[in-house]
Amino acid sequence: MTSPAFDGFRRPDGVVGVRNHVLILSVTGLTGPTARRIGRAVPGARVVTTPYGSGLVGADAALQRRALTAFGAHPNVGAVLVIGASPPLVDEVVASIALTAKPVEALILDDCDHDALTLTERGTRIAARMMREASRARRVPVPLAELFLGMECGRSDPSSGLVANPLVGAVVDALIDAGGRAVFGETIEWLGAEHLLTARAASPEVARAIEAAVLRRERNAIDAGLDLLGNNPGPTNIAAGLTTIEEKSLGAIAKGGRSPIRGVVGIADPLPGPGLYLMDAPAYAPESVGGLVASGAQLVLFTTGVGNSFVSGLAPTIKISGNPVATRRLREQLDFDASDVFERRASLADAAARLQALVLEVASGTLTWGEILDEGEDVVSRLGPAL
Amino acid sequence: MNWQATTLAAGDNVATVLQPIAAGETVAVWTAAGVIAITALEPVALCHKIALADLAAGTAVIKYGQCIGQTTAPVRQGGWVHVHNLRSRRAQAAGGQTT
Repeated sequence: MTSPAFDGFRRPDGVVGVRNHVLILSVTGLTGPTARRIGRAVPGARVVTTPYGSGLVGADAALQRRALTAFGAHPNVGAVLVIGASPPLVDEVVASIALTAKPVEALILDDCDHDALTLTERGTRIAARMMREASRARRVPVPLAELFLGMECGRSDPSSGLVANPLVGAVVDALIDAGGRAVFGETIEWLGAEHLLTARAASPEVARAIEAAVLRRERNAIDAGLDLLGNNPGPTNIAAGLTTIEEKSLGAIAKGGRSPIRGVVGIADPLPGPGLYLMDAPAYAPESVGGLVASGAQLVLFTTGVGNSFVSGLAPTIKISGNPVATRRLREQLDFDASDVFERRASLADAAARLQALVLEVASGTLTWGEILDEGEDVVSRLGPAL
Repeated sequence: MNWQATTLAAGDNVATVLQPIAAGETVAVWTAAGVIAITALEPVALCHKIALADLAAGTAVIKYGQCIGQTTAPVRQGGWVHVHNLRSRRAQAAGGQTT
């Protein structure tokens, strides 16, 4: 790395954020529109909502609760207003977020005479005060080891496996060597490359977990009567030159570098410690990125071939492509142009050094295109039918 | 050094083209053993694959030094390798049914 540190926000519980967001967190579907209205009234505030509520059961309900709570507890969030329709869920989420010692307040529709406008008015005042207080925070130098990267690829093409993913892998390797954390998911895109991942597993248990996760997804596809060709790779991938899931996977796993794989975590689960982890999770970008960010990733490295505008709202998302056509066209989407490597005008090592520098710069406050254009969203996967 | 296509590992029998290729064009291909020349039999779009050898139907197609699927029809050296003549060996429903 060109610099051993970045400037971040040290939270009361010791974790480090690379942003200092005020979050309006709606934990029930009924209050989503009100959360968005409060967000519009307090420019700069982030909003996370869910369309779901009391019909969720079992693991599905647990995941929603865990992930929504994690968005509130996220290190990039400096203060949270939790809103919901009724007390039990709101109280639980608030109690969990309060363990981080960051400011958190709650508003419940039941306490506002079921009037969304009353909730809007009270919420807007709270959010406005939170914004003012949050703006008092200042960045401090922190060591690289406190960085936690999530890696994602979307709308990939063969340039992703050739250039963008290996570049990200090089940055991840340097971070892991420095004691940091990183995670990537998209289990179906390990299929065909799982032998390369298991060879890097830190233990036989981890290798078995990787194999089991891939087999489950493969069986899901078969049980659904799916021929993966046409689903993943999808039509855009295929038009761009990818053919089979094996080809896509072999390119995709390059974004995880070459470090040992410490374990396989579930969607939105925190990492047990430093090092590189896999997340057993869906591949579609909003669900995948949502899981990585809920696990605590402060910053996402998102590679693309032909372009993909989706970013996290909470974690700055650096868009990277090596496709010369895409990088010329998508100047306000792609944060890092690696087409010089594709066109043999620069070495992968030189480009990796430039990308490492950009990562530290963005971690220290430089805005990504996704942040400037407000493309961000943070969502939670569903695991089963609701009542 | 300039080349229009690249392999990713020793043993690859396809190369990724780094610029659009026209039929009849001579393509310089980077390989671990040095740059070789292949004549394209048909157009190959940016980032698509060109066969480096004659591949009989059912041959494992190798990229990244790994199998990415198998040919479903014979492909001649210089031919375009894509979903019309290559398919996955994984995640196929019983009986190899395709949708």
